Amino acid sequence: MKEGLIQQFEGYGEVARDIEVCRKYGIDYTLEKGSVEKFINRLHPGRMTLRVADIIEETPLDGTLRLVPEDGYLPPFQAGQYITVSLETGNIRTSRPYSIASPPNQTGYYDITVRRVKDGLVSHHLLDGVKRGDVLICSGPAGNFYHNPLIHDRSMVCIAGGSGITPFMSMIQEIVDCGLDREVFLFYGSRTLEEVIFFSRLEAIAGRFPNIHFHPVIEAPPEEYEGLKGLVEGRFIRDVVGDPAGKTFFICGPQGMYDFCVPEIENLGIPRKKIRTEAYAPAAPVSNQPGWPENISPDDRFEIRIKDGKVFSARAGEPLLMSLEKEGIFVPSECRSGQCSRCRVKIISGKVFQPTGTPVRRSDRRYGYVHSCVSYPLEDLEILI
Amino acid sequence: MSDYDVIVVGAGNGGLGAAVTLSRKGLKTLLLERHTVPGGSATTFCRGRFEFEVALHQLSGIGTPDNRGPLWNSLKKLDVLDDLEFIEMKDLNRIVIPGVLDITLSTDLSSVMEELGERFPREKDAVSRFFKLVYSYAFELYSYFTNPAAGADAVPLVKRYAFKTAQQVLDEFFEDPVLKAVFGAYWGFLGLTPNRLPFSYLAILFFSFIEMKPCHIMGGSQALSNALVNKFISHGGTVRFNCAVNRILVKNGSVAGVETGEGDEITARYVVSNASKVSTYVELLDREHVPDEFLKEMSIKTPSPSGFCVYLGLDCEPEEIGITAATNTVMNSADLSDNQYNRMRALDFDADTDMAGFSCYDVADSRFSSEGACQVSLLTLKYADPWLRLPPTRYYAEKYRCADAMLTLMEKVCPGVRDHIEEVEVATPLTFMRYLATPYGSVYGFNQYAKDSLFMEHSRETPVEGLVLAGGWITDCGFETTIKSGISAAGTIMRSLGAER
Ligand SMILES: Cc1cc2nc3c(=O)[nH]c(=O)nc-3n(C[C@H](O)[C@H](O)[C@H](O)COP(=O)(O)OP(=O)(O)OC[C@H]3O[C@@H](n4cnc5c(N)ncnc54)[C@H](O)[C@@H]3O)c2cc1C
Ligand SMILES: Cc1cc2nc3c(=O)[nH]c(=O)nc-3n(C[C@H](O)[C@H](O)[C@H](O)COP(=O)(O)OP(=O)(O)OC[C@H]3O[C@@H](n4cnc5c(N)ncnc54)[C@H](O)[C@@H]3O)c2cc1C
Ligand code: FES
Repeated sequence: MKEGLIQQFEGYGEVARDIEVCRKYGIDYTLEKGSVEKFINRLHPGRMTLRVADIIEETPLDGTLRLVPEDGYLPPFQAGQYITVSLETGNIRTSRPYSIASPPNQTGYYDITVRRVKDGLVSHHLLDGVKRGDVLICSGPAGNFYHNPLIHDRSMVCIAGGSGITPFMSMIQEIVDCGLDREVFLFYGSRTLEEVIFFSRLEAIAGRFPNIHFHPVIEAPPEEYEGLKGLVEGRFIRDVVGDPAGKTFFICGPQGMYDFCVPEIENLGIPRKKIRTEAYAPAAPVSNQPGWPENISPDDRFEIRIKDGKVFSARAGEPLLMSLEKEGIFVPSECRSGQCSRCRVKIISGKVFQPTGTPVRRSDRRYGYVHSCVSYPLEDLEILI
Repeated sequence: MSDYDVIVVGAGNGGLGAAVTLSRKGLKTLLLERHTVPGGSATTFCRGRFEFEVALHQLSGIGTPDNRGPLWNSLKKLDVLDDLEFIEMKDLNRIVIPGVLDITLSTDLSSVMEELGERFPREKDAVSRFFKLVYSYAFELYSYFTNPAAGADAVPLVKRYAFKTAQQVLDEFFEDPVLKAVFGAYWGFLGLTPNRLPFSYLAILFFSFIEMKPCHIMGGSQALSNALVNKFISHGGTVRFNCAVNRILVKNGSVAGVETGEGDEITARYVVSNASKVSTYVELLDREHVPDEFLKEMSIKTPSPSGFCVYLGLDCEPEEIGITAATNTVMNSADLSDNQYNRMRALDFDADTDMAGFSCYDVADSRFSSEGACQVSLLTLKYADPWLRLPPTRYYAEKYRCADAMLTLMEKVCPGVRDHIEEVEVATPLTFMRYLATPYGSVYGFNQYAKDSLFMEHSRETPVEGLVLAGGWITDCGFETTIKSGISAAGTIMRSLGAER
């Protein structure tokens, strides 16, 4: 019916001719089969198969795994980003994020440097159970902790603690390898001198490049130690960098370090937006977090009921994601620090603890969605996965 | 016995509209979405203290309390109105050509005519004649589609303007290129420059925004997507996130189910695909199930542009940096010809020739961001091609270079904006490709040239019995239309089931 009408519209002839031509010379969409996935995978593969080419002992506590791609291709990343290693250990299918310690200009391999964590699950497995030649399944690079040239100053004050040096190693190496116009003041807090990862490499770089300044800060130094001692205090920063204005601050380390350093830096007159922190899940015990209810101990147990599924008991002090994994229930995860919402689940009933500042969408909150990697049961729960 | 009555592939607006309707009718429905959250384009993401809106700049079709629009009626059918709060925008658009023009159009017809009459006194009458045309044309369109039997002569304006481009009509009414640019500026919402865009779309847009007012959704478009999923679940629907569909399974010419990325096979009698038409036909269905005629029909269509978007979290109130309207367009000149069109094909952004739009929702409602903060989404349309040719190692550098140039353009209207950026995220055509899985990262489905426009007979038939499409690739783009397409897809299935019984 309408077909008959449009033929009477002004300009119909031209439109009809257009259609004729396009039918002749149109687009053969079948030629593009697979291309979307191919293009996405060049930048953001969901999954990479990496082989351990080398294992380098860094300190008594740390080892570096050098990972090469099975298919010869590694996606680009921004210095400071991490990959997430998925694996099964002790019958638990789980994952852990590790910052890439090698620089982005090193396109042949990714280094991840793993620190042994007391009572940890995965770090021991990676350091003791993985051999050269083994294969690791990893996510593509991700994360928001990097120098963003749009808003970050060319002069960076970097504060690392423990294994938190890894993103900075990548950044610094990139700066010197690629001759980037940037300046780095690195304060590296460590319990002992022996535990400083990359010590000799960092010293060598700082010796050769005037734009890289390296200042280890040792909590329990040997008697004769002449460098900075204790924790990374604001006055150290002021003494070394002079006027802190016009600089962007980057912190990556254990939670205690944020609690201590962020106020120190703010006291130097630095606005909060100039202080970038890498996100970590709260340190155990989570009950030390502000807002944790007094009447609940991390060792209390609650019943978790999965809608149309299993019922099991979980510790209050353990992230819901981890409890699920221990029960053999797979929930995808990536950052494991509340940032990416990969591990999102819906709480149908019951209450969970979520550290303040966890970036959960407002409408997710409204409908009970939480990021299970940073959610801790405070009551019996019914959840939907 | 199938596992499900219906499987919906993709939780974009189209998929959600279908899923909620089907589950409400009691059909056992499974919704599968690749991403971690529902919505497709209609999502938000968090950085620091900001929750960024991905897509929605202006929502059409909500209407006012005494004049409810089509989207309101759709959402009423879906029973989610109680879960949502709409914020009416006070302005249509602020259009700036630095040094030449800075005009803010309100959403009220007589005020718009006044504002334009004041700035373009010599064309005051032409402005009112133009709006008269827009309105009469919109009414005629309505009668044309509701009562085609009345014939072409019952709709003389449609007969005359249906196949005209927006530029042809603007040229017919106006002299001043700057005035034409004021009307043409909205092309960014439609994907084709005025010299290519059918007049109908521009007319519908102005009619709809002025009559029914542009809105925003409290909590962003994610609030809508989440409300729909919530409704779906409450009707007994099952949803799985992080679950891509790799194939639509076909048996004897009919849908049999889907195969997921994890390799699971799930059976169903019907499949609604909210994936793009291109991926549905080329990726999800095996070639043998798609007769050539379907590919031929699709071959005449061209994919719409993708986008380049800079999301800004600012540590100031909008007015501190001169943001006075929620919706803004910044152009360097009144030239909206193929020069602009061709710029969409370039990789780079040129702050001295190109144009961009930006939205600041906090102007419409200060609750949008936290106290003392606001967010801006700065968008220009770009084709993906040059980004696909770019070596991956250069990706990040180019991304920042383009974003930097976009900020330079924005500074022409908002001096000092750079000093207030607390969080920034940049989306390139490859980002849209990644999150929407559309070919070439297209954000508006197929381009809508006259030959593809609303007047042409669009067959709803798909190559496989039991497969129905929903979303922006089978209808005009936008929230209003894609949600409606989902409801219609569900209707098709209900009818088919009814016919069976
Ligand atoms: C973005 C990001 C980047 C990272 N980069 C690095 C890196 O470059 N190098 C690196 O070494 N690490 C890095 N990490 C940390 C890393 O992902 C792991 O968290 C770390 O290796 C510990 O893992 P694990 O499995 O050994 O310990 P987990 O089993 O996860 O235990 C972690 C801590 O929790 C405690 N704990 C364990 N079980 C429980 C329990 N049941 N209840 C309460 N507390 C418990 C442990 O005592 C330990 O202190 C990064 C983390 C993030 C979020
Ligand atoms: C930057 C931008 C600005 C916009 N501004 C506006 C505006 O101001 N006003 C307006 O009305 N409209 C606007 N739009 C348009 C509007 O957002 C879209 O038209 C609409 O949201 C598209 O809906 P859709 O149903 O086509 O689905 P999409 O949003 O494309 O979603 C499709 C979903 O399907 C999923 N999917 C695809 N393939 C698979 C698969 N194989 N398996 C599982 N899941 C799959 C995707 O992950 C996605 O979630 C804008 C769009 C963009 C991108
Ligand atoms: S894994 Fe990223 S938010 Fe939980």
